[in-house]
Amino acid sequence: MSIFIDRNTRVIVQGVTGGEGSFWTRHMIEIGTKVVAGVTPGKEGLVVAADAHSAIPGFQGLSVYHTVRRAVAAHPADAAMLFVPPRFTKDAVYEALDAGIRKIVTIADGIPLHEAMQIRAAARSCGARVIGGNTSGVISPGQAMMGMFPYWIERVYKPGRVGVMTRSGSLTNEVTSMIVSGGFGVSSLIGVGGDPVPGTRFAELLPEFQADPDTDAVVIIGELGGTMEEEVADALASGFFTKPLVAFIGGRHAPAGKRMGHAGAIVSGGRGSALDKIAALRDAGALVAEKPRLVGECLRQAIASRNLESF
Amino acid sequence: MKLFEYQAKEVFAKAGLTVPRGEVVTDAEGASKAAATLGFPCVLKSQVLRGGRGKAGLIRLAGDAQGAFEIAERLFASPYGVCKILVEEAVDIAKEIYLSVTVDAASSKALLLACAEGGVEIEELARTAPGKIIREYIDLDEGFSPFHARNLACGLGVEGELSKKFAAAVESLYKVFRSQDAELAEINPLFITKTGDLIAGDGKLSIDDNSMFRHVEWEPGRDYFESELDFEASKEGIPYLQFDGDISLMCAGAGLTTTVYDLIVDAGGTVANYLEFGGPNYRKSLRAMELCVRNRPKVILIVTFGTIARADIMAKGIVEAIETLKPACPIVVCIRGTGEDEAAETLRAAGLDPLSDTEEAVGRAVALSRADAYASPRRGAGASAKGRGGAA
Repeated sequence: MSIFIDRNTRVIVQGVTGGEGSFWTRHMIEIGTKVVAGVTPGKEGLVVAADAHSAIPGFQGLSVYHTVRRAVAAHPADAAMLFVPPRFTKDAVYEALDAGIRKIVTIADGIPLHEAMQIRAAARSCGARVIGGNTSGVISPGQAMMGMFPYWIERVYKPGRVGVMTRSGSLTNEVTSMIVSGGFGVSSLIGVGGDPVPGTRFAELLPEFQADPDTDAVVIIGELGGTMEEEVADALASGFFTKPLVAFIGGRHAPAGKRMGHAGAIVSGGRGSALDKIAALRDAGALVAEKPRLVGECLRQAIASRNLESF
Repeated sequence: MKLFEYQAKEVFAKAGLTVPRGEVVTDAEGASKAAATLGFPCVLKSQVLRGGRGKAGLIRLAGDAQGAFEIAERLFASPYGVCKILVEEAVDIAKEIYLSVTVDAASSKALLLACAEGGVEIEELARTAPGKIIREYIDLDEGFSPFHARNLACGLGVEGELSKKFAAAVESLYKVFRSQDAELAEINPLFITKTGDLIAGDGKLSIDDNSMFRHVEWEPGRDYFESELDFEASKEGIPYLQFDGDISLMCAGAGLTTTVYDLIVDAGGTVANYLEFGGPNYRKSLRAMELCVRNRPKVILIVTFGTIARADIMAKGIVEAIETLKPACPIVVCIRGTGEDEAAETLRAAGLDPLSDTEEAVGRAVALSRADAYASPRRGAGASAKGRGGAA
């Protein structure tokens, strides 16, 4: 198993005919994702990725539709992957929600702030989950992905039993390679994205990792700014999440007053420095790795101490 | 993008908020003329984007035209890069309050903050007396409703005729927040005058960078930035921060660059500049390296682990940049991700020693920045390109 996406998730791709869309859709298919149809307004009738190796028997390429509604009428789907420019992302998310899709991933980097707020509000109001923007997406290594991951780099994207949540792209590759070199692999990796208002927040994914029998521990890759890491600490402290949790937090030495890292640092009532986050997580029982290299060691410790407790 | 006070106040005034009478001047002569027109006493407010202007002596009261002239001369000559001064009438203040609209990410709503104690920094207040801050949330699609303002007014103890003016001010500020795609619209302090009027004593308006395409009227000029390099990087769309240490960072990804910064400080090194050339900028190696070189760093440290930003293309760009710019300092490279094998080959062919471990790269860069690397370049251990690495 995994969270959010697995072998059986049926995915449509909005923006399937663009440069990034067509390149990464092919990779999504090749890793094993059940991509069922594509959407690009004005391009209905095209068939794309016909030569990709799909897990779907008799796959002969993706039919492209003008609208999500027409695509899902012909190809029932659970999830929508958006390769749509930031200015059109709100519209594309609303279109997917309107067509009944409840899992959406958007990689768009540069969604206007107020539109990001509207996207999150709309998703919450209908019980949907939007992941992103400004993210590489979601991957369950060895099974499926929605987004853009160099999954063929085995020292990063090895299947396993550690769940990962992250705000970063490059740093995720860095830290995940340390999870793998520490002897572990990844069950599901969710890039919530680096924007100030991500569609989904870290703590909102904890129940799914908690319920996933194939996730033994969770690593969060955070950084200064915002309050998502503090919310994870709150969830740990409340006893609501009980699996071992390891964190790496970037920005320990970021000088005050400089806007370093993603654009996440907005007024949050005195919370939000990397050191505040590290203290909150440690107080709540998480292990915090000071350097990416130490994440594997922290995982070993966290899992070992949990096993001792169970005796 | 942060606007200057005078710009924020122009926007506020157009939205129906009352601001003090004032004039923007660019020299001391202008300041004394403006002061004479406005009457005395008047306030001279340096237009810089840094906080704490009062403490830094950048806001001064003038009692006559000669005084205004002299104060303006001193402010223009200050080390804070003052290009404009806002000369304003002094307001007869009975009370100062705080009012702002910002973004609450968790609820994904606009957050109105008010406090009966204005003039204090809200972050400071949030730490020391969080109970004194009154909060009100607005769903963007539902929009402002008068009850939002009534809730704030009740919390502040604002009553009677003043509460109506206050409600209008709240609605106007929210309108500014929405129409300007703001991250923050803040009035601190909001004066309550002895005659019972509300006047915006200060104005902060910060516009979301991702929405700038809708706000082309705000073109950030040189005076928005602390340094020439900050300004040039911004024009290129390259995230850049100026420091004064030894190692120039040329990294990809906000999270990774921030982490490399941490690792350098941990290892006892210092940073000359923070620079990201990942994501959409991964073809801008030349421009990125040029910015680094102009800092005359002791080492340039390149660390990436990209997905969309393809390692092979970045490696080619870096080699071309080195050939064009011929930097005098050693370069440490650690480029991984999509296309990494080809990238390593390209770098080796150019005489560089590509590393694959971030901490090793940081360690090497710090060692090079401390050792007198210029006098005795260590081939193999160092990573200078072929034919260079001599005396700087």
